[in-house]
Amino acid sequence: MKLIRSAPSALARVSDFDEWFRHPFAGLPALGQFFNQLGEVFPGVTTDKLAVDVHEDKDAYHARFEVPGVKKEDIKVELNNGMLTVTAEKREKNGDSESSYTLSRSVSVPDGVNTEAIAAKLEDGILNLMLPKAEHKKPRTIELN
Amino acid sequence: MNATCTPSTCAPAAPSGVTESLRKPLYNVNGSADAYEVRVELPGVPKSGVKLDLDDNILTVRGERASNVPEGMKTLHRELSPLNYLLRLRLNTPVDEDKMTAKLEDGVLTITLPIKEAAKPRQITVN
Repeated sequence: MKLIRSAPSALARVSDFDEWFRHPFAGLPALGQFFNQLGEVFPGVTTDKLAVDVHEDKDAYHARFEVPGVKKEDIKVELNNGMLTVTAEKREKNGDSESSYTLSRSVSVPDGVNTEAIAAKLEDGILNLMLPKAEHKKPRTIELN
Repeated sequence: MNATCTPSTCAPAAPSGVTESLRKPLYNVNGSADAYEVRVELPGVPKSGVKLDLDDNILTVRGERASNVPEGMKTLHRELSPLNYLLRLRLNTPVDEDKMTAKLEDGVLTITLPIKEAAKPRQITVN
């Protein structure tokens, strides 16, 4: 997995970041579509995709997910085989009845991330994940002798 | 309760020719005999960024996001909207303004609007 540096104008195109943001079924459009439509056929099994922003600075990648109304204990962040999966269960109370649904998103973790040090923070309905870069992946200056 | 405008048509009087794009947040209204409860989703808005106003039966909720992209960061991928929120609702029932409460929790603003005594349904005893 590689992160390709590209011109900012191209950044808006989602496809450029396919590698970064690969949905488990991205490589299989038909299958992905099938899962997206599953909810229409079987209401109750919908798993909507969480929207995400990714930023990078010299020390880390930062992923932000919008999860309004989701409690800390209803968010699960899992790292498995280089895939980081965020699952958020949203519970809604309307008087006596309570309903819940699940949102999830998988993100492929780029090379050079120190997976041990991934940190998550929930604030004002935004989940912030910090994926620190491993030391050897940080830009460094090479001294001339 | 009705939405009175779309975000594009209800931009508030902007200072000197500055236009601002705003986004209408998702919201939910629940009513009981005593009060209305309005839940507005405002992810990314801190408590200090919420402005709530009830004027002439129009409830206005404005949410200013905390700075979206931290300084010095490069954006790699963007799906979240950077726009601030604006929601205007027209109330068709008199509410008790003084007892109106609002609470911001996990990016959801919950506004409770108690209905005025005079507007509540009541039973008339037959003598």
